[in-house]
Amino acid sequence: MTQPTIETRVIHLISQLVPVKSQDIKPEQRLRDDLGMDSVSSMELLSMLAEDFELDVGVEDVADVHTVAQTIELVKVFLAKKAA
Amino acid sequence: MPSDVVAALTEQTRRYCAKEVNAQAIDAAAKIPKQVLDGLAELGLFGITLPEAHGGAGLSLADACHVVDEVARFDRSVAVSVGLHLGLGTRGLVRYGSAGQHAQWLPALATGQTIAAFSTTEPGAGSDLSSLRTVATEKGEHLSVTGEKSYVTNGAFAGLFTVAVSTPGLGGAQRGQSLVLVEPKDRGFTVQREEHKLGLKGSSTTGLLFEDALLPRERLLGEPGQGARMLQHILSWGRTLMSAGCCGAAAFAIDKATEHTTQRTQFGRPLFALDVVKERLARLRARHFAMEALVQATARKEQDEALAVSSLAAKVFCSEGAGWVADEAVQLHGALGFIEDTGLALVLRDVRVTRIFEGANDVLLTHLGTSELARRAQEGPKHSINELESALADFAQSLSSKYKLRVFRTPRLLHALGIATEWVMASRAATERAHESQSASHLAMARLIEQEARVVVAQAAAVSADDSLFHQVLGLERPGATS
Repeated sequence: MTQPTIETRVIHLISQLVPVKSQDIKPEQRLRDDLGMDSVSSMELLSMLAEDFELDVGVEDVADVHTVAQTIELVKVFLAKKAA
Repeated sequence: MPSDVVAALTEQTRRYCAKEVNAQAIDAAAKIPKQVLDGLAELGLFGITLPEAHGGAGLSLADACHVVDEVARFDRSVAVSVGLHLGLGTRGLVRYGSAGQHAQWLPALATGQTIAAFSTTEPGAGSDLSSLRTVATEKGEHLSVTGEKSYVTNGAFAGLFTVAVSTPGLGGAQRGQSLVLVEPKDRGFTVQREEHKLGLKGSSTTGLLFEDALLPRERLLGEPGQGARMLQHILSWGRTLMSAGCCGAAAFAIDKATEHTTQRTQFGRPLFALDVVKERLARLRARHFAMEALVQATARKEQDEALAVSSLAAKVFCSEGAGWVADEAVQLHGALGFIEDTGLALVLRDVRVTRIFEGANDVLLTHLGTSELARRAQEGPKHSINELESALADFAQSLSSKYKLRVFRTPRLLHALGIATEWVMASRAATERAHESQSASHLAMARLIEQEARVVVAQAAAVSADDSLFHQVLGLERPGATS
């Protein structure tokens, strides 16, 4: 899987939870302050990502994920672990 | 324990309310007499949490909770009006306002000459602050506000409104919210009619209409686009003060129930002599003790980020507690409790809304459960100090292990964890307060609450993600279907 595809898929999923178009979502944006997510919806997003990418992510793994870029990085790390 | 200053103010408030506040008359008229509000203003109640530099008393959140608790023992409508002014109404201005905004509005707010109101809820957005549809856009040197707000406490007589609006693009946040200060005289702004309510009839509840209302840019409160963060702090204050009001309502109901059961004779002896009545009264007092302990423990965190989570627990525990206490007090009165003259029917009606406003309890419990899981994930495993704390830790751990991240997409599980968390926090606060006082009755009440909390945690931990029975009952085609 190539990097742009992962980013595109992550951003597409985020766009399903916030009223912001995919093309307007940028990696540096913060899930809560910039995209208006709260603690529940941001955790819901990470949960959706884990299901969509079939990743075995634990609750403790997402404690420090606050931005779109960190979300993408989390997916990449766990995809790499899965492939290893 | 309140300081001498606060104890004296609370005593003054008690004397004034006993003489001048008639809850049944306020309920019947659906209005608080102006002289009552003026009298409370003369006592200085509207300025107790405002800065001394602007005419306030500069008291703490914990101090204000003592005062609001006292007022609620006499009338909940008055308590809500005062508590709203001290919390949601002025907290944003005090914390985030500029020097110019402070100078312009705080002096009149401190004397009660101006009453404050606060508004987030909209016809299409209740507890979900991210769905605000009232929008403020830049128009030259002004902000143009368009939209509608609902259920605004103090709406009819407020002189200043703190209003949450959506401000897309403002401050760099694409979908941020901001807070704006609005005055009744602002062009394009209308306060709508009074709502007719089940309880709290004396308090004013109105809608607000913004039709291209033009506000000077200086009306923005704090950083543009940072409304969500500011709201978290403001709502934490509001929920804590509202919880204090619930304590006062419960105290009134318990006083009435104690008075009735010690005076009323049945089967040749006072009701109080019956074991079942004694147990009920003991449980009512224990719940009230835990409610007050949790409110004070929460209020002492006013400078701490932990205030947000603690205020969620206090709001849910105290509003549920006030409803339960009022209902039990009615039951202990028998048929008399159903008669308005007793005053308990009014309490029952008044406290019902506390489970709904300032965040519906079910929503807050889901947030509390989410926060608890996130906190444990960040802090890592910790040694639990007692059996109850261990039971909560085991419950949280079992959810994380069994469901992993899916738990965050299953609100029922988070809700159950929220209930368990709320009770453990209340039990912890009650135990700490009892240990501080070393009073035998306090220690016994803390033990009773701990026993109840263990049952609540065990019940909550029995929750299952399997919702197939619910779907079958509702006739849904397959488990997981939403329509």
